[in-house]
Amino acid sequence: MAPLPFSPYTFIQCPCSDSTLLARPADAKSPTGADAEEDERTFDPRAPRSNYSLYPLEYLLYCEDCHQIRCPRCVSEEIATYYCPSCLFEVPSSNLKSEGNRCTRSCFQCPICIGPLSVTTQETRHPDANLLSADNAATPHSGGFSLTCSYCHWSSTEIGVDFDKPNGIHAQLAKIRNGGESRLTAKERKERRKELSHRGDSAAAAAAREEIEEQVPDLENQFANLKSFYNSQLADPTAADNGLSTLGDLGFSSPSSLSRIMNLYTGGKISDNKAKSRLGAIREALTPEEGLLVANLDEAALISQLHQSEHCDTASMAQITSQPPNLGEPALHGASRFTSSLRPIPHLLRTKRSKRCPVCRHIISKPEPKVQTTRFRIRLVAGSYIPSISIKPLTLPGPSGSSSSNPSDLLISLKPVHYLLTFKNPIFETIKVTLATPAATPGRFPSKVTVLCPQFDIDANTDVWDEALKDNDRSDKSSRNSGGTTRQRRGTEAGYQLEVGKIWERGRNWVSIVVEVVPASLRLEDGGMLREDEDILEIPMFVRIEWEAENAGDDGGIVPGAGGKDKDQKEKRELAYWCVLGLGKIKQN
Amino acid sequence: MSSRRAPRGEYIETDTGNKVARKATLVGTQNIMLGGKTVIQPEVMIRGDLIRSIQSSTSSSAAGAPPNNTAVAIGRYCFLSRGACLRPPGRHYKGAFTYMPLRIGDHVFVGLGSVIQAASIGSHVHIGARVVVGEFAIIKDYVRVLDGTVVPPNMVVPSFTIIAGQPARVIGEVPEGGHEAFELRELYKTVGNNPHPAPS
Repeated sequence: MAPLPFSPYTFIQCPCSDSTLLARPADAKSPTGADAEEDERTFDPRAPRSNYSLYPLEYLLYCEDCHQIRCPRCVSEEIATYYCPSCLFEVPSSNLKSEGNRCTRSCFQCPICIGPLSVTTQETRHPDANLLSADNAATPHSGGFSLTCSYCHWSSTEIGVDFDKPNGIHAQLAKIRNGGESRLTAKERKERRKELSHRGDSAAAAAAREEIEEQVPDLENQFANLKSFYNSQLADPTAADNGLSTLGDLGFSSPSSLSRIMNLYTGGKISDNKAKSRLGAIREALTPEEGLLVANLDEAALISQLHQSEHCDTASMAQITSQPPNLGEPALHGASRFTSSLRPIPHLLRTKRSKRCPVCRHIISKPEPKVQTTRFRIRLVAGSYIPSISIKPLTLPGPSGSSSSNPSDLLISLKPVHYLLTFKNPIFETIKVTLATPAATPGRFPSKVTVLCPQFDIDANTDVWDEALKDNDRSDKSSRNSGGTTRQRRGTEAGYQLEVGKIWERGRNWVSIVVEVVPASLRLEDGGMLREDEDILEIPMFVRIEWEAENAGDDGGIVPGAGGKDKDQKEKRELAYWCVLGLGKIKQN
Repeated sequence: MSSRRAPRGEYIETDTGNKVARKATLVGTQNIMLGGKTVIQPEVMIRGDLIRSIQSSTSSSAAGAPPNNTAVAIGRYCFLSRGACLRPPGRHYKGAFTYMPLRIGDHVFVGLGSVIQAASIGSHVHIGARVVVGEFAIIKDYVRVLDGTVVPPNMVVPSFTIIAGQPARVIGEVPEGGHEAFELRELYKTVGNNPHPAPS
């Protein structure tokens, strides 16, 4: 595939990566030398840690109480709702504990391609028998139902699994092994065991043992056996007469005496005694009915099976890892290697989450708990508090400018280019923006950067009736800044001059300024290789915005000294953050 | 859609603000419902002729009610890029083959050359270029389908999902601040017979 054309981007640094800013407010009051040092430092977008703190504006939230940007990494999330992404049914959290984090309806993914599986009748391979048309169940089906993938045409008949009913597939699947053999679920096994123990005679016990031995030792049943074995061990205080008791039997072999001795020596040096007493106290399982599973180290059968199979019969790593933990599978040594042992994957549940500010614990994003609604009760996104920055290459007609520049064009070393940065004010106050960039970008290849107008005001986003016409300049790259230009200056661009200290263009709530960049030469003296992304021209920029906010109705975050006495008095606010402008790629020569 | 007042220009603009390219192929126009302010670019094909051949029992029982023959229903501010194809999905139902209506919400963008055979697409959905949405797929609101994705038939894509790949899999979540990016009002203004001047 051809490399994608470069599109300019703006990433904003979340203050959470600065540990000094996350400190308690009491500490922040005392200006220290460290703070000053902090201010001196230029943010380096190429520093290894920077990747973790830079986000596009859409990903950032804003805490109205702390007046600070919050990113996905620093907010704390709370799960509001669990739901299945396929049937969109909400799963109560109580079910989650008992049934696990997968959908227990009939929502399955194909084990081969992860496409959705649908229930089909086995004779007619048409999708008309899927769950959407349950009313045709009146027509008699002689055969069963199977799960089929409409993307890769996999069918559960390939692993020998078919179903009697078209609903409750999850429960039916739990009882079927690959190949069609039925298996007991944990509950059924428990009942059967209870039944046998009630009868109590030796013949029944023998029958039970036989039955257990007969069963394929799968994970679930081995776990059940082990659990009941250990429970009986713990319950029986005189379980000293076991096979291992001769080894270092010091009379600590029963759990009750063990705990008594442990109490005597709490905190003391008992490690030796402990090891010995443990050995005697609880013996390990000795028979299959107690949960012993002898490792099957003879893999000759498996190897010969691998010899006979094609490459496509073996399951890929991705397929195996996407398999849910299968309690019915043979334990440890029989893990699936072949596609024939893969099982349909029940859909993992998804969540709706609300988000809290990490500092003040206020909720900054809260979705409606209902699965089908997309509304939010609270949604404080950074985009409605801080100006958006869009980047566009500026083409200047005339001898001074570059002749033609396309956003996808590579930048040529040492040839000055101009970029238009458009700042758009989302708030209902006039804001004052101050920009700062280092004269040269950090890194091995410093490009020279000049912001022609580092300080300007942007008018408020006021007009209510204009709000209806308000553009969403992030909807598509091609539609950037197309609207809201009620005061846009018309005229040919030739009429404009690049003037230091003057803004390029201004609209109702936006301002464009020009940045001049001289891309660095990517030549290395020692003829070394460029590191990853070193040819991308990224400019760190410090943005500081100041505005006057209404004091009324806001109890949090009042600047001391501004005072809360006069309600009409306006309060000065400021917000400052680093951002990174990705302008283009420098051509390698 | 049958307006012939503007003989010139690439687009036919209807009273409800739809902009339909003259070079778009709309088959069975009486079965295509446009909510208004929808842009249909040249070479788009909408198969309105693939109507439901079996009426559902509820509508047929209502005596005298005209049969609902809508094959494709599109909401407001949708944008169908050049070469896109909307085709109602079909299947066997009660022993006979029938097509089912294709419903599309508001602010749905369909990219270049994408083929849509979904049962329903919600509102605020962005479908990239060269995407195939399989039959009876259901795409909910605020979903972004990246370029080249193949959405398998019958797949359900929940809200606020970003999907990609062949077959489609969930690769991300639409962030809270990304909801406005799905609005297509501005894009609507940039096309038509007298499009808004290009952005500065």
